[in-house]
Amino acid sequence: MTAQAARADVPEPVGDRAKVLVRVENVVKHFPAGIGVSVKAVDGVTFEIRQGETLGLVGESGCGKSTLGRLVMQLIPVTSGKVFLDGVELTSLHGERLRQQRRQMQIIFQDPFASLDPRMTIGDIIAEPLVNFGVMRGRKLRDRVQELLRVVGLNPNFNNRYPHEFSGGQRQRIGIARALALNPKLIVCDEAISALDVSIQAQVVNLLEDLQREFNLTYLFIAHDLSVVRHISDRVMVMYLGKIVEIANSTETYTNPKHPYTKALLSAIPLPDPKLQRGRRLVELSGEIPSPINPPSGCRFHTRCPIARVPTPCAEVEPPLEEKLRGHFAACHFSNEV
Amino acid sequence: MAATAAAVVTRPIAPEQASLWSDAWRRLRRNRLALAGVIYLTLVVIVALVSAVWTPYSTFQVGVGIPYAAPNAHHLLGVDGLGRDTLSRLMAGAQISLIVGIGTQILVLAVGVPIGLAAGYFRGAFDQVVTFLINLFYGIPDLLVALILVFLLGPSLTNIIIAIAVTRWMDMARLVRGQTLSLREREFIEAARAAGAKPAKILFGHILPNALGPIIVQATFGVPAAILFEAFLSFLGLGVPPPTPTWGGMAAEGIVTIRISPAMVIAPSIALSLTLMAFNFLGDGLRDALDPRGRR
Amino acid sequence: MTPSTRADAAKRLPAPILQVKDLQTQFLTHDGIVKAVDGVTFDLYPGESLGIVGESGSGKSMTALSLLRLVPDPGKIVGGKVLFRDQDLMQISDEEIRDIRGRDIAMIFQDPQSSLNPVLQTGFQIAEAMLAHKKATKQQARQRTVELLKRVRIPAAESRVKDYPHQLSGGMRQRAMIAMGLANAPSILIADEPTTALDVTVQAQILELLADLNQELGTAIMMITHNMGVVAGLCTRVLVMYAGQIVEQGPVDQIFENPQHPYTWSLLKSIPRVDALRHERLRSIEGLAPDLLRPPKGCRFHPRCPFRVEKCLTDLPPLTEVKPDQLAACWVTMDRAKKEMGADQLLDIRPGAASGLEPGKIIP
Repeated sequence: MTAQAARADVPEPVGDRAKVLVRVENVVKHFPAGIGVSVKAVDGVTFEIRQGETLGLVGESGCGKSTLGRLVMQLIPVTSGKVFLDGVELTSLHGERLRQQRRQMQIIFQDPFASLDPRMTIGDIIAEPLVNFGVMRGRKLRDRVQELLRVVGLNPNFNNRYPHEFSGGQRQRIGIARALALNPKLIVCDEAISALDVSIQAQVVNLLEDLQREFNLTYLFIAHDLSVVRHISDRVMVMYLGKIVEIANSTETYTNPKHPYTKALLSAIPLPDPKLQRGRRLVELSGEIPSPINPPSGCRFHTRCPIARVPTPCAEVEPPLEEKLRGHFAACHFSNEV
Repeated sequence: MAATAAAVVTRPIAPEQASLWSDAWRRLRRNRLALAGVIYLTLVVIVALVSAVWTPYSTFQVGVGIPYAAPNAHHLLGVDGLGRDTLSRLMAGAQISLIVGIGTQILVLAVGVPIGLAAGYFRGAFDQVVTFLINLFYGIPDLLVALILVFLLGPSLTNIIIAIAVTRWMDMARLVRGQTLSLREREFIEAARAAGAKPAKILFGHILPNALGPIIVQATFGVPAAILFEAFLSFLGLGVPPPTPTWGGMAAEGIVTIRISPAMVIAPSIALSLTLMAFNFLGDGLRDALDPRGRR
Repeated sequence: MTPSTRADAAKRLPAPILQVKDLQTQFLTHDGIVKAVDGVTFDLYPGESLGIVGESGSGKSMTALSLLRLVPDPGKIVGGKVLFRDQDLMQISDEEIRDIRGRDIAMIFQDPQSSLNPVLQTGFQIAEAMLAHKKATKQQARQRTVELLKRVRIPAAESRVKDYPHQLSGGMRQRAMIAMGLANAPSILIADEPTTALDVTVQAQILELLADLNQELGTAIMMITHNMGVVAGLCTRVLVMYAGQIVEQGPVDQIFENPQHPYTWSLLKSIPRVDALRHERLRSIEGLAPDLLRPPKGCRFHPRCPFRVEKCLTDLPPLTEVKPDQLAACWVTMDRAKKEMGADQLLDIRPGAASGLEPGKIIP
């Protein structure tokens, strides 16, 4: 959206001197939904991911987080805006030149049952990126696949089995092995653990952290609730209806949220502790997320916000994403009252 | 690294590795009707092969028996109006039926699958043209198309196969297009793109293998439809020209004299019906066996 | 349950409204028998809210479905009793159980989209639920439908009555399902993962609604969930299921503070928490849930348990009282694991790591 074009200040992680790996500038994605109507899935988003960090991306269904993940990967084209990976503008590349860039970035999907081709053996699935780029073949390829299986904690001799023979957690490990095959710089984890059982979630989260340390990976970790993100992220970005409402380092987000939506999200997550849980006050959000086809005017959150002043300014003026504290950005007119 | 600790605790889940195809075959075998279909069709194939080298009497030679003779020890299924042995002609007819049925489906596959894949994957203008053509062909009655083609090309076995395929390719094209449209939105296709797969690899390496189940089922159902269509054309006198024996043609000849010699109609009709049923049972069995939703 | 527990419970609690005894549900597959529910015994008291937690395949949903004889093919209830108002729900006729469903015991599911008929008005479907049990005249039913929709806090209930399911949002649909569940003022409401498909902010609203309804109407709630947080917020008692069996049960506060079964203990430690420290490592449970076609001998959790001892490999531990009102099925229990094996300081999570019994090895 053009209204945000002027916003050039990109949030910077506190004390982080690492180089910028991903830069997203004013990215907009509108999906056509009939004549003259469009779903404003992502509506003017700017941020950076630094080499080696994990950026958590959190929001409820329909906030555009998965779309944003696919835009960063350029699996779908942007409506407008730019995406840079390691200085290369992905949004200007097409066809073969874009395909070549895919060596640098991989994605792990939410559904471990849908994201593996049921007609292929897991050995072939993991080998596919290596074959696609002609990196290796024959004996070397087979060794590499077995090594990858070992790295993600699976038996290397499983390579000629089919996906349906594995449990959800094991399939997700297969997806991770495929993502690691090309030694990418960036891995987008799109709700990579949401479909898994709690005890298995923990296994996969720990695995992702170990792999990050070992291979110096950068993660964009997309999730629908803030609890898992807490354990893995260096910085957390919260989205609501196609906009970023808050970005801060992880501790800040959880202890000192500057946007009422972040606060509501935090309070809505039930704690596995009956005494604490009974003592917590739920920041009651009225209603549900409005349609992204026709988002509310001004601040998009004003229809559900407990501290909104309607009509002015909240229903009229869109709050810019501003640095409220050092490295802590929020888009709220009354962030001091949160 | 902690991941190695996890490696210790993973264990094989299935006692043996089973590919999806062997899994499907196992389930097909448990379906008794489908299995009966497979056995019957195997017999038909054997009979058709045998008939190429040996039949009790010559297929074409007239006067090997008394015209219109009822079934007897020399002629198990009787003799037709020209004094030809019905059993011999029935055996040879199996050949024609299978050639027509399978030949048509090979043509239908050769045309329908690539068109459907391309239309579903690339969409856009090409898809619109294909969809229009499919609807156009559905709009014109099959029989009319086939009659015109047979008339223009002349009645021969090859031309009849072509004529039937022309009236049947849309089913396959539409099925494959639909499969492709839904498969291309599946997450594992997106995963393949993310892994740097080129379009050809996605189409033939991922989409086609996953659409193969429904394609096989459709082709299996297409065989009896083609056989029936040919029989119908023969019955109308527009099928494979005499004296080549076809089941439809034999029934047509027999119908006139049904009161004198019912065996002339009954024998080819039963052979035809059983074959159609066998293919349909097999098709049903394949559909259940290949449907991933049926997998436990 | 030991006789003494039941006597103690009887002193404090009213007579149970539902008694489940040794319930067994099996699935006959061509690879063998899957014991989805394997000897489950518990009581439900009037007006309480009982949580049944477990991961996928633990048998929690199948337990709930078995109570109302709604087990899908090829599943079969092969044993046990479910006593409700002096009758065994497993023995009564199909017609009688149909009467009980929806009237006395209502059930709501994870996916309200598939439980509502898309071509009928939502209000009509709720009224139907009442008319099916002849609890009201058409006029009364229509009136009560609006009341119910208000009760579950659907805004503009009068006009929403005429909406079709697709016109409602996910949260609204689940509210409508709850309204339908409450239509005949049942004494038990079984909720099978009712918030799993919802966003967290909406989940919080629905949980609050269920808690209020439980308080106001005195409807006993049986909450089937995989989410320990949901149990902590809503329930007073909890059953923890693993591989078709109850491994621990007791009052929520007690179980969360001092779980005695290693599975409950590990599960609580593996949950990501918003109040955790940054980059705090999650304590995972190594290995996979057992294949119920070939469940391990002895305790079903021993292949993943850091505290296993010899006996665990061979003998199935019974559910016994370990603290007042708290039952656990474990030969070791966490009290002993903490005292003798230093469970609280333990960093190694591999099976057998704390007890030293073949650490890291799967011994099925």
